[in-house]
Amino acid sequence: MDRVTISQNNIAYRIYDRYKKLIIALLLIISLFVLGEVIVSNFLSLEQILLTVKLASFIAFFGLCQMIVIVSGGSGLDLSVGYTATMTAVFTASIMNGENGNLWIAVLIAISLGIMVGLVNGLLTSYVKLPPLIVTLAMANILQGGIDVYTAGRNITGRPSPILRIIAAKSTGIFPNIFFILIIVTTIVMIILYKTKWGAVLFGVGENETTAYLSGINVKLVRCTAFIISGILASLIGLLLIGNMGIAFKDMGSNYVLPSIAAVVVGGVPLMGGSGNYIGVILGAIFLQTLTNLLVALGWGDAGKWLGFGILLFILLIVYVRNRRSI
Amino acid sequence: MNKSSKAVSNSAFHKFIYKPEFSILIILIIMLTITAILQKNFFEAKSIVRNINAFTPLILLTMGQAVVIISGGLDLSAGSTLSLLTCVLTFVMKKGEPVTGVYAIIIAFAVAVLVGIINGIGIGYLRLPPLIATFATSFMWLGAALFLRPTPGGESVEWFKMFYNISGAKNAPEFLKIFGTIVPPGLILVILGCVFWFVVTKTKIGRYIYAVGSNNDSAYVSGINTAKIQMTACIINSLFIFLAALFFVGQSQCGDARMGGPLVLRAIASAVVGGIALTGGRGSVYFALVGALILSLVSKIIFFLNVPNAYQTLVSGVIIIIAIASTQVYTSYNKGAMR
Amino acid sequence: MTILETKNIKKCFGGVVAVSNGNLKCQKGKITGLLGANGSGKSTISKIISGVYGADAGEIIFNGKSIKYKNPNEARKAGIAMAFQNLSLVGDLTVWENIVLGVEDKKGLFLNNEISKEKSKAIIDQLLPGLDINKKVYELNSGEKQIVEIVKAILEEPKLLILDEPTSALEMAQVKSLFSYMRILAKKGVAMIFTSHRLWEVMEICDDIIIFRNGENVTSIDFNKDGKDPEKIIKYITGETQKLKVKKNHNEITEETVLSIKGLTYGKFLKDVTFKLKKGEILGIGGLTGQGQLELMLSLAGNYPDVRCDVEINGKKIKLNRPANAISNGIILVPGDRQREGLFLSHSVFTNTIFPKLGLKYHSLFIPHKKYRKECEQVIDALSIKTYSMDAPVSSLSGGNQQKVVVGKWFSFDATVLLLADPAKGVDVGAKIELYQHIINQVKEKKMSVILYASDSEELIEYCDRLMIMYEGQIVAILEGDDIKDETIIATSMCIR
Repeated sequence: MDRVTISQNNIAYRIYDRYKKLIIALLLIISLFVLGEVIVSNFLSLEQILLTVKLASFIAFFGLCQMIVIVSGGSGLDLSVGYTATMTAVFTASIMNGENGNLWIAVLIAISLGIMVGLVNGLLTSYVKLPPLIVTLAMANILQGGIDVYTAGRNITGRPSPILRIIAAKSTGIFPNIFFILIIVTTIVMIILYKTKWGAVLFGVGENETTAYLSGINVKLVRCTAFIISGILASLIGLLLIGNMGIAFKDMGSNYVLPSIAAVVVGGVPLMGGSGNYIGVILGAIFLQTLTNLLVALGWGDAGKWLGFGILLFILLIVYVRNRRSI
Repeated sequence: MNKSSKAVSNSAFHKFIYKPEFSILIILIIMLTITAILQKNFFEAKSIVRNINAFTPLILLTMGQAVVIISGGLDLSAGSTLSLLTCVLTFVMKKGEPVTGVYAIIIAFAVAVLVGIINGIGIGYLRLPPLIATFATSFMWLGAALFLRPTPGGESVEWFKMFYNISGAKNAPEFLKIFGTIVPPGLILVILGCVFWFVVTKTKIGRYIYAVGSNNDSAYVSGINTAKIQMTACIINSLFIFLAALFFVGQSQCGDARMGGPLVLRAIASAVVGGIALTGGRGSVYFALVGALILSLVSKIIFFLNVPNAYQTLVSGVIIIIAIASTQVYTSYNKGAMR
Repeated sequence: MTILETKNIKKCFGGVVAVSNGNLKCQKGKITGLLGANGSGKSTISKIISGVYGADAGEIIFNGKSIKYKNPNEARKAGIAMAFQNLSLVGDLTVWENIVLGVEDKKGLFLNNEISKEKSKAIIDQLLPGLDINKKVYELNSGEKQIVEIVKAILEEPKLLILDEPTSALEMAQVKSLFSYMRILAKKGVAMIFTSHRLWEVMEICDDIIIFRNGENVTSIDFNKDGKDPEKIIKYITGETQKLKVKKNHNEITEETVLSIKGLTYGKFLKDVTFKLKKGEILGIGGLTGQGQLELMLSLAGNYPDVRCDVEINGKKIKLNRPANAISNGIILVPGDRQREGLFLSHSVFTNTIFPKLGLKYHSLFIPHKKYRKECEQVIDALSIKTYSMDAPVSSLSGGNQQKVVVGKWFSFDATVLLLADPAKGVDVGAKIELYQHIINQVKEKKMSVILYASDSEELIEYCDRLMIMYEGQIVAILEGDDIKDETIIATSMCIR
């Protein structure tokens, strides 16, 4: 096995190999900005970049939900995150009613909703062994239905608590506050994923469920928990969404689902699970937001955005996810 | 000779009872009965026609989806494909020019085949996971549809209405109109689909679709071009979606880039209720049709029970989960499911 | 008349050499036996001849012409058919649909099912009369499936028929009827390649045999000319020549039973296995590969939730339905298939080494990196694992070093019963002795009892106090003391029935 010895000892090569996917994501972003600047002037301005990062943060948050579920393996994917967020936003709007007083109730409701959604998703995928894509898709439908029921014949009244508005919509100086939330979240995530046993177990289960199982890990429980966490996070993001928009409306979150998956794929997290770096997901989110801006600047609008996303995801799948015949 | 054949037919009947197909038929009969009780004019010609028209799109989509699932794939982009085809049709047709209708059909047909080819390349040749691959392509079709029709609209020619309601089409020949009052076009389209599939099953392609879905490696080793078969299944699915698109445009005379979304999940659920195994290789397309009928009747029942409209999506979502979950539990119970 | 000849075939999968130098010859109307241990290359070369794989190098001459088939279909059309060991049947299709799969009879564009059914019935009735050809294949038992697989290969009247372990699921009567049919085919001039692990079968039906070992053929024996000498054949398969081994006494064995297993049954893999493990001993499991040894190890490790058996460890009744249970009762498994069961390939050596600790109930939330890195270093030193850094992905290590990681990660555990499933697989000779020495030291130090499975019988002879031989899911012999030597092992492993 001499292929290992020589090149691997080179430090530069080692750094390249480990962070390969992050570097590629970063390069993609830079090339997009350059391309944008060439096509549309003022594309590469400070305000633009800050705005991009602000909008990308939401994608990155949803991307975190996806990443946790995807990393846990078993073709995990969570299509219900968008509607979970929407549902929370809609339900808590009138409770908060523009005051800070009831914020803690809203947070409690958000967490409970998230747990419920995640639990159903987790049980159906881990224990009844239904395909995650279909389960979460059906769940998204159910949540959508639930929202329809709730909003039937009544307007969604209520405004988010001022605290939420400050966090999600306002800025400190030139930096959007959501950016700081992103940094805090990222730090916590990195610590949990890389310094605690939960992170190590999650990666292990996704990488090789047999090995993890033989090491005494309850694989089904880990995967179910991943969905529960995804649900809770998606729900909390709903609070941020209403904080950003100022009101809640029916399709608040659904447009984030595809970008959240695309961000994960662009960020180099393998769809089969087992490894991945959240920083990559953040970079992926920034890339997607930049791409959207570029398409809008080109006048492509809605059509181009979806067409572009679809093609991009398809190509990334080809590059990262091909199956080999097993004879 | 007589005695032994009697004995054989007895056991054949007994065997049939334990097959999933039997329970599906029983459920259908139950649903029909309940609906007939709730809808007072159920057996009147007018309401039968209305029901058939309401059920047609889901039935066609389900049959196509069944074919793909049997071949070992899945098509989450069926809804977007449907929307795309309606946009293509209404884009090509110009109101005062009947001949554009013909062009529209030809072009839409070609687009349908193209969609099938791309999905087929992804699933069959590139061996991407069908779920995610068609999830990605669904957005490609959505984007393409939005290009053609950013907002719902478009034009349609008069005679196109015959795909929905023959007497409504002003320029249609008399005999066709009379025919149309007896047999609604929706039914004709479904029958057309059934005949088409029947012919396919009589060729080796039909059998190979089952073989590839049941055990891709064994099929390959037996000399079957598995990639080509999976792509063919995707194209067949697109053709069914094409028929559904003709129906829709015949009915609404407009194209809408977002109309198809909710239909996909219902089509998959219908297929599963109709006995199609999500793992591939087993199930009958005709029973998938029955599954679509069952799901449609359930929606009707909910409607007649005066459940508010808002609850429709919620309930159908729950039903879908129950349907898929119970068939999964049923098949894992059935130890005969060894591959 | 030679109908097939292969010259210097080479085939690699990834970095692993499956066939290094494949040479064989088949005669028209003769049945050639292909013998060799698992991994000797005989299955691979069969698949190359039948078109499933392409050879990396070498030549195949069929009917006088040099050939290269891109897929099995081409080979089939040319007259080479293969009945696969892993069965090329499609479960959801009927018997007759499977038999004609790929070569259906047609009336123009449409299938002609009548003729297909007739053709299938004609052959099936000769091998398995009374089988309903309209049954779906998933309804058949393994013996019936195997016959259908063979019929599928015979259907197109091939000139060369390759039967890859066709008898492994058959009962005696079915084997006999298969053999009579093969003789009829031979009279018709069909050449056949027949592989089996049962020596008596090979000696009964074959005209000559070719023995493979380590990817190349080591000899061919013509039964008509050279006669049938089972001992000579065995020697060629194992590659051993007579060696005098002195039994070394490694452990102090007490008469105390630490683990008692009764009636262990698991599907078709294990049938009513019963034995006792004495405290402090090294109990070996031997026999030909694939006779249930690995399944036995996995069952003891708790990997199969629906296994049935009575288990007692140190007198206490336990349930082996989850690995976590086994581990908490002190039964630790070092798995045999390191890539599938033992490692996280893309993760680092460090992560792999400390992972099992994280599964323990009272492990702290935060991973004590400093402490664990020290421990990892100790393991790397103790086992001489060659890696440029403990953060290197385990996939970058050689097979042998990967194996050492699999062994090393359980070092810090105090096992009551240590299950070793081929711990030295892929490790080169020098390192092997070192590895076993470390293992034996740990075992003596912590007073563990060991169940050892090794595919290399040398290891079993060297280290075991007692040796159980398994065949087709059952224990057929328990060897002790001087009985533990090559001849007895092979004899009990192969010449049953």
